[in-house]
Amino acid sequence: MRDGGSDSTATDRARILARIVQANARRDAPPHPGRLETPTPSDAAEVFAARFAASGGEVVVLDAGTRDSAGVARSPGERLGEFVAGLGLERPGVAIGACVPEELRPPGPYAPPETAGVGVCLAWAAVAETGSLLLESTGGRATQLLPPVLVAWVPRGRVFGRLGDALGELAPRLPAAVGLHSGPSKSADIGGTVVVGVHGPGRCIAVLEETASR
Amino acid sequence: MGSGKTGEGASQYRARSRRIIGGAPEVREAVTDATLSFERKRKRAYAEVDFDAWSDWARDVKNHVLARLDHYLTEAESRLAENGAHVHWAADAREAQRIVTRLAEKASAKTVVKGKSMLSEEIGLNDALERAGIAVFETDLGEYVLQLLGESPSHIVGPAIHKNLEQVQRLFAERLGTSLSGQPDDLARAARQTLRDAFAGADIGITGANFVVAETGTVALIENEGNIRLATSLPKIHVALAGVEKLLPRMSDLAGFLQLTARAATGQPLGSFVTLVQGPAAHPGDDGPEEVHVVFLDNGRTSVLEHEHAWEALRCVRCGACLNACPVYRQTGGHAYGSVYSGPVGAVLNPALLGLRQAMPLPFASSLCGACGDACPVRIPIPDLLVRWREEAQAAGLAPKTEQAALSAFAGAAARPAVFRLAGKAGTRLGATQAARALPMTGAWSRERALPRPSGRTFRELWREGIE
Repeated sequence: MRDGGSDSTATDRARILARIVQANARRDAPPHPGRLETPTPSDAAEVFAARFAASGGEVVVLDAGTRDSAGVARSPGERLGEFVAGLGLERPGVAIGACVPEELRPPGPYAPPETAGVGVCLAWAAVAETGSLLLESTGGRATQLLPPVLVAWVPRGRVFGRLGDALGELAPRLPAAVGLHSGPSKSADIGGTVVVGVHGPGRCIAVLEETASR
Repeated sequence: MGSGKTGEGASQYRARSRRIIGGAPEVREAVTDATLSFERKRKRAYAEVDFDAWSDWARDVKNHVLARLDHYLTEAESRLAENGAHVHWAADAREAQRIVTRLAEKASAKTVVKGKSMLSEEIGLNDALERAGIAVFETDLGEYVLQLLGESPSHIVGPAIHKNLEQVQRLFAERLGTSLSGQPDDLARAARQTLRDAFAGADIGITGANFVVAETGTVALIENEGNIRLATSLPKIHVALAGVEKLLPRMSDLAGFLQLTARAATGQPLGSFVTLVQGPAAHPGDDGPEEVHVVFLDNGRTSVLEHEHAWEALRCVRCGACLNACPVYRQTGGHAYGSVYSGPVGAVLNPALLGLRQAMPLPFASSLCGACGDACPVRIPIPDLLVRWREEAQAAGLAPKTEQAALSAFAGAAARPAVFRLAGKAGTRLGATQAARALPMTGAWSRERALPRPSGRTFRELWREGIE
């Protein structure tokens, strides 16, 4: 909504738009050049894994259909639980994002994002070209940002080759916010030395799973 | 233009440069190291893709947008409103300050967390909020360092590149109680702890906007630390400040510009984090802000758009590539320029934003080597614009006296064939090095350098003899 409580913002709006029209009156408007065509990677999942790792992210593939020694099928969530247990977290507790289905949830102990050692969420998709995870705000932003380690499930069929293709598919149904995570939080603001985990997660792990779905 | 910081003190550029180069050699060393590192990464990143084609495309998209800016601004306004966001318009810095301060007062806000925003620097927002009794936390690590020091950023992307590790160690030991020998990891951890508390208690998150997509009403933000993700997620209110030139037509354009900007700025395929904000949280499970406000700011940008040549500088995506490529910027960092927008792009933007007289002598703070133009990912013809501003300065009697005298002498000689001939002959007799040392502009430079010996004959003599 336009800010209705202020006359000056309405005046400023009119003034700014009028000045733009006046400034452009003497110029022709060139056409839009169309979409920037970038190459489509041949194996999107493979390229995503390589690019994400190159930016400091980690990629794990959990094979579908694993069974334990007694031949009992284990859910992806149970297998993720074993993986998380091996991470050597600096503090215990798992925060679970709002959109993670039951079968993808590792067993507890659970904790709120503010105190959890790891946040587990479900990515809407991944992008090969930029090595990025696309995380919707509906999955819970605190879970995606506050724990020192982020684990994001990526359904294998949801790895896009190009960023434009992913954003194009997302555009008609955009949530309030989307986060693209292309590796851990980092900064070189102190003496030019790169440090990780400055504000967001210091470890960012993408879990590719054949059967992961919403 | 209202009160703000753009261009305050540009006239002191020479004095400040001398002070930095002579009195603070560590600045030159730190800035040179950092910018050369940025440069290496940028060149590698450009080489990985067809960057010429990317730059042509980006230039054409921006030119299209600027020519239809009113249309795209109103489209973005409509989409944002549909998404539940509030849209405000500010003609100048004072109005933008008033809008944000009023929002903060209405929310009874005590604490604001900020993501890095050059626009908030431009309008002097921190001072305005602090005058209203609101605590402001800069959360970008470099900006936080500078806030503790009471300094302004000296680079668009790396605000504290002029500070070395020892300086930050001393600062954090004094202010955060870390060890004097604390390593960057330790220091970053200490800052994170303090700033996490600030995030947890903040009422408002304030950011800039790298781009605004008209089609979807999307505010796009690029970063590496995650502080912008937090500032747009944890507080109940998010305020995004966007220059009116930041528009892009479609989401597909954003995909290109996000990658182009990241490659130009830091040499990455994409920043570690990109946030796309459409509006307030409106879905169960979304723990984001209840209110989103977007402030579209002019503050001189429509004057730039109106200018016959300078409008091309409005394509700028604030990547800092021209600063990193500039051998003049490297000597001093950004503080010498006395302007929020320093380096080559500042030297072409400020005269149009502020007026040429206020921006002098920035268009002359360049060797015209052309590196800035080559580095620019949106093909802003920075060297050409610098020359045009110099011509305007010369015509208005604002050019430096040495330059005016040199050009007047040349014009006088060139208009009189006999004098020109005589000057040419004198040049062949007098050694070039001696001549350079005698001139004010080249004296210092040639003190330790020898120029090639000139030909013993003038061009006219050679011409008469027949040049092969």
